[in-house]
Amino acid sequence: MADTEDAGTSSVSEPLDLVRLSLDEIVFVKLRGDRELKGRLHAYDSHCNLVLGDVEETIYVVEEDENEQETIRTIKKQEEMLFVRGDSVVLISPQA
Amino acid sequence: MSFFGFDTTLPRDRAAPSERRGIFETPDPFAEVARARAAGFQGGDDDDDEVIDFEDTYDGLGDQLDDDQDAFNDDTFGDDLGAPPVGKDFDFFGKTAQVADAIGEEQIRYSLQKPRAPPAAAVTADIAADPAVTAAAGKPKRTGYEKYSDPGYIPDLQAKSSVWGVQKKQDPTPFMMAQAQAQAQAQAQAQAQAQAQAQAQAQAQAQAQAQAQAKKMLSLEEVEAQLRRYPSALPGQVPVSLPQSMPEPAHPLQRAQMPPLPEGFAQLPPELLHAQFAKGVPPPAQLLHQPPMVPEPYPLAPHAPNMPMHLLQNANMPPQHMGPPQRQMMPPGGPRAQQQQPPPPPQNMRGNNAQLPVITNPQQLMHLSEEQRVAYLMEDAKRAKRNHKIFLLSKGNGLMTPQDKNFITRIQLQQLVAAAGNVVDSDSEAVLAEDFYYQVYSQIRGAPRQHPHQPLGHFAQTYLLQTGNRLGGHGNRRQFQNADNHMQRMQQQVQRAVEAAKAKPKNKQLIIEGSLGKISFGNAKAPKPMLNLKRPESSEGGKSFKKPQTDLSLSDRKSILTNIESVYSTLMEMEDMERTMPPPPDENDPEAIQKHMEWRQNVRSLNQKLWRELKVMEPIVPNTNTPHPFIAFLSYPKGKKAIPRIFRHIDQEQRVTILTMIVVHLDTLDVVRRAQPVPGETQPSLAVREAIDLFSQTVMPSLLGYVNEAPFNIIIGLLGLVIAQTHVQLVAKTRIGLGILTMLLSRAEIVKEADQASERDWQQWVEKFNVLFDTLEPTFADLFPSSINAGDDMYVWQFLAAVGIGASPDQQQRLVIAVKDRVMETVTYSKTLPADMASQRLGNVNLFMRAIGLDVELLG
Repeated sequence: MADTEDAGTSSVSEPLDLVRLSLDEIVFVKLRGDRELKGRLHAYDSHCNLVLGDVEETIYVVEEDENEQETIRTIKKQEEMLFVRGDSVVLISPQA
Repeated sequence: MSFFGFDTTLPRDRAAPSERRGIFETPDPFAEVARARAAGFQGGDDDDDEVIDFEDTYDGLGDQLDDDQDAFNDDTFGDDLGAPPVGKDFDFFGKTAQVADAIGEEQIRYSLQKPRAPPAAAVTADIAADPAVTAAAGKPKRTGYEKYSDPGYIPDLQAKSSVWGVQKKQDPTPFMMAQAQAQAQAQAQAQAQAQAQAQAQAQAQAQAQAQAQAKKMLSLEEVEAQLRRYPSALPGQVPVSLPQSMPEPAHPLQRAQMPPLPEGFAQLPPELLHAQFAKGVPPPAQLLHQPPMVPEPYPLAPHAPNMPMHLLQNANMPPQHMGPPQRQMMPPGGPRAQQQQPPPPPQNMRGNNAQLPVITNPQQLMHLSEEQRVAYLMEDAKRAKRNHKIFLLSKGNGLMTPQDKNFITRIQLQQLVAAAGNVVDSDSEAVLAEDFYYQVYSQIRGAPRQHPHQPLGHFAQTYLLQTGNRLGGHGNRRQFQNADNHMQRMQQQVQRAVEAAKAKPKNKQLIIEGSLGKISFGNAKAPKPMLNLKRPESSEGGKSFKKPQTDLSLSDRKSILTNIESVYSTLMEMEDMERTMPPPPDENDPEAIQKHMEWRQNVRSLNQKLWRELKVMEPIVPNTNTPHPFIAFLSYPKGKKAIPRIFRHIDQEQRVTILTMIVVHLDTLDVVRRAQPVPGETQPSLAVREAIDLFSQTVMPSLLGYVNEAPFNIIIGLLGLVIAQTHVQLVAKTRIGLGILTMLLSRAEIVKEADQASERDWQQWVEKFNVLFDTLEPTFADLFPSSINAGDDMYVWQFLAAVGIGASPDQQQRLVIAVKDRVMETVTYSKTLPADMASQRLGNVNLFMRAIGLDVELLG
């Protein structure tokens, strides 16, 4: 038991190891530019480059109508497979 | 005079010579020259009538000269003195020495020139503009810089100096006046020197080529100027041999020739120059010119300082002779100074050159055969080059004291030893990790690297060898010996240091005797620890507080995922181990056997690790909401996917354990629990269906693979577990549950068919089977997916078939009754389907029907 726990803790020695836990799981990824992704995490690296499968991308667009009322429009896209460059990743969250 | 800021442009060079002459005599000779030229050229059109067409002459040189005036400021204000670029390391002595020579020469020249000044004035500004003239003039300038103070040279200097003197005087005067005077003088002199001219012309032609070569770098305008110059230049040279009066004749010639020559010559010179340069004989021209200037060989000392100048001259020409660095060395006055300076080096060279005739007088050069001259010039160029190199290298001479050098050496040795110590410290693994590619490379190259100490010794030797060579190479014999001794000592020192490092390689602290403190050191690879904290070795305590945590966190997502990841890590390790499996050991090779044993040991320990991480053996806690860790493990897709890989690495016992765990927790298995039909829903959610598919694609085959080989008693036991531990009716309503039941039943049937079952076992089995049948009988009809059009009911028919085969006739009867409706429905429904789908559905039904000895066909 102790050994197994040791093994468990040793696999989480750096922040990205937490991302590893979400491998093959559905994750929620927030990106710069008001974009969000939700998909299955296939791969990642130290730059937070991600490969996601079955991704739903949500883009939030703020639009001003004539009354200067700001409305938020969302654009959704579906991708079978997506490579996300790490420099745009704001957060990665496991989607329980 | 500074070597920096040298401008390679020729125009400047021309201007510079005339100006330089005056450097010491006139406050701002360059400015005056430039002014004179500018004025002369501009006004020349009007004034000049006969020989010189100023239109032709004026190529914009005047403008250029004006621009260049600023450049001359450096000369004027004493680059020799090291005005602008002088840094902290200014070489006062060297510079002063240079200047001292120049000053001496300048003084002599001045005294000589003064009387002749008037005639010199006759020479017009044109002369200054003419490259040839400038070249001639340049020589004096060079001499001035080079230390022409030698008394012996005075006569020659005088001749030249007179020319210069004329020019100098001309410079200040406006162009018109200068021209007028020059013409007058030129005519007068021309007569007097008629004979001399004849000679001079002959020489001039020879020199013309040389000059052209030297001027290679010149612009077209300059080339033109050179053309004009040639005539003048010839006379200029003649004077060397001839009395002082010579210089003046040159001018007349120039004027006369100038108009026609410029264009025609302009083309030729460049070509000649290129050709000659290609041969690598660029300096000759300069040398030829120079000899007249510097009749007597100069002492070596003066040349050394001048060397750069000479180089600079060459710099104008292609870098063949001179390396790029030489250009930097060029003085601000650069171009002209260079042209003029070349002579000094040759003289030096002559002294050294045993093979070539000793040329003490420039005139001698003229008498040499072409080959000899070329050889001489080549030699000269080589020497100049070498001298320049030495000069460049010698800049840093004496900067470091022997103590400094020692200090540096010690630092290097320390680092050497430190690195060596590190290498010694680290095991081969670390070495490999450190510089993997080097290791591989050296292996490929077959470098002798048997043991870790090797590289150090090798490295040290290389280092020592190199240093020794370098030291030895430069010194004379005595120095060489010294260096040798020194290097020997160093070598010994290194060896001792290395041995010391080996002796205590792990000592990270130094305690100096008698001191109270310790000095701890580190290096890039093993940084000096700022804190020395000992991790408490209370492994017992660690376990004790971890254990409850484990239990508590078993169910939470993160710990499950962590478990999965650690399982995968171990899996990958095991798969890696497989790759490194040593070849099957040879009986006679104890080493191989040993290796194999070790490998198997490793595999075993990894297997144990994997087994622990799977948490299959975690105690089963009944009546708890938290699923068993292994079941939780299986609830994740990646957990399911891991099973086939895991099964490859575990033994039968572990497999049956896993199977048992699954069977025991069948109703808590996610693919069973979540697959329970929900009222109103025809089928489970998509995610659940995916999970079920995944489970049946990954886990089931593994289980099946084991079950098909499992002993009968285990099957019986498993069936008993299903009945005892799970809600059979619920389990049976799911595809996975039914699948496992089918698996067990069919295995039992196979065993029975094969007649492998003992009577007692069979009895046990039948008992269990009966219980199962009785339990399931009320729900047989409910096993099917709710809708008949769902289509995917084959697994149910498979199960029913498995039950039917093992059932007693009585049970078969009840079975048929229970599912008769579904059979009829399916048959009817299949008639509405396309042929292939219909046959598929009927085939499924037939699977069951045949198990109980019937056939769909019988139903019509």
